[in-house]
Amino acid sequence: MSPVRHAIVWGLAFALWAALPFAATRHVVDLLVFAGLYTIAGLGVAFLLGQCGIVSLAQSVFYGIGAYCAAWFCVQKGLPSPVGMAAGIVLSTSIAALVGWPILRLSGYFLALATLALGIIGQVLFLEWDGITGGTLGIGGIPRIAPFGFAFDTPLRFYFLVWPIALLLLALHHNLLHSRNGLALRAMRDSPEAAAVLGVDIHRLKVQMFVLSAALGSLAGGLFAHYVTFVSVDSFAIDRSISFLLLAVLGGVYTVWGPALGALFITILPQWLSRLGDIHAFVFAAALIAAVILLPEGFGGAIRNWWRARAAK
Amino acid sequence: MTTAQTTKPLLQVAKISHSFGGLHVLRGVDFGVSAGSITGLIGPNGAGKSTLFNIISGFLTPQHGSVQFDGRDITRDPVQTRARAGLVRTFQTPKVFAKLSVRENLMLGCYRHLSSGVGGNMLRSRRSRLEIEQMQAQAAETGERFGLGDVMERPAGQVPAGRQRIVELARGCVTAPRLLMLDEPSSGLNTTEIEQLRELLRQLNSEGITIVLVSHDMRLVDVASRVHVLCFGSIIASGAMEQIKRDERVREAYLGI
Repeated sequence: MSPVRHAIVWGLAFALWAALPFAATRHVVDLLVFAGLYTIAGLGVAFLLGQCGIVSLAQSVFYGIGAYCAAWFCVQKGLPSPVGMAAGIVLSTSIAALVGWPILRLSGYFLALATLALGIIGQVLFLEWDGITGGTLGIGGIPRIAPFGFAFDTPLRFYFLVWPIALLLLALHHNLLHSRNGLALRAMRDSPEAAAVLGVDIHRLKVQMFVLSAALGSLAGGLFAHYVTFVSVDSFAIDRSISFLLLAVLGGVYTVWGPALGALFITILPQWLSRLGDIHAFVFAAALIAAVILLPEGFGGAIRNWWRARAAK
Repeated sequence: MTTAQTTKPLLQVAKISHSFGGLHVLRGVDFGVSAGSITGLIGPNGAGKSTLFNIISGFLTPQHGSVQFDGRDITRDPVQTRARAGLVRTFQTPKVFAKLSVRENLMLGCYRHLSSGVGGNMLRSRRSRLEIEQMQAQAAETGERFGLGDVMERPAGQVPAGRQRIVELARGCVTAPRLLMLDEPSSGLNTTEIEQLRELLRQLNSEGITIVLVSHDMRLVDVASRVHVLCFGSIIASGAMEQIKRDERVREAYLGI
């Protein structure tokens, strides 16, 4: 593709992205905001799965920690929102490093079960430690993110906060994938023994990726708390982890931007189908199954393959 | 060669014993590899060659004995630590990164010499970009040298099996190893290719790479200046190939007389 066409395609994509929330209803923009939040958290899960072969069902814990830290520091301590979000990321990454170091010695199903255990423990603690989390009652009255007096207090405004962050993170992960360590990640997925023989410290790299994934989960959780202004334990149950994993698989774990497509799919489609009435859950389930069977590499993989086939002609 | 190098071998394996369950695979194996040499390791099937290779490269910790590399005890070091010190091996069944292109496979050979972190990589730091350029340059040069120019962009898993072995060897050379350990490098190659491999090993050796070679193939082992014969977990003979061929015990072990 010529540079001019390249620029036109990107320009059109940008224009579409910028115009979309103005054309959509408030409800749809709200869904798009959630898609952005899920893209951030799901990117962490997808990167672990696609590049390291790690199935993580623990992302809801880091999402929860991010949200509760944002809530607790702002509501209980009256500190500004960046402090709460930063605290969430520090706490999440510390836990990810401490827990990840031993459990990432496992692999396959055993590792998936270990992360599931982490997810369940998190869910229980969020409920039991109600002095901090508010338990089932939750914490309300979380202030909006308002830098320099400009409050991100509507779906439209938050759309222009969350999506640039999500896209920036996608770009950073793209960079990582095409660097020394990104190559090493892809290599150890193919043959861990050969990667070790070239000097790659596989375990260390896996732990680093788990920590990075936790940071993304926590950031998404913090943004979520400031967006909905109310957090309760229901938002951080194990089914949230499954949603993140689902969107990663649907979007495609071998492309960096796949999770964005997966996130749009799982947020927009159920709502859109709900007009069909009671049957919508079945239709959504059928769509999921069809997507997984027909597009084993997810939407991202399918688009990439189509693009490559076209370029080869 | 200086006196220091001759007195202190690059690799020293001392009193290595290892058993799997009740099966004694290695029984007190001792041998040294002097810097700048080509050393052959031969022996019948089940002699313990692969186990010994795994112990030297770090995939297995021996129950007894020690491995020293460049005067340092590495018996308990993990694989990647040994690799970073310059001890690099290939595998009997070539292990290429199947989904990565041949170019990317070769690029990874540079890994041990580079140091950029995950954060710098994400931000495309100056170092991160320079490293990629360096990796690409090395890969292109080595690919050309090993005659892989026509398959550089192909996924390595789709390259014919014989050439995967060459990819693996080339990748090992990009690491600029101090000691290169080759496990059956000639299997699956025809006579002409074995001849080319011999020439290549000589060349690499003349560039200062010490080589240890496990092979069944006498046409290839000839290239070694010193050969150790492993039989039922013990070294039964050591010396130049000509000497080995005349050894009574070796003839017995191989020919079963």
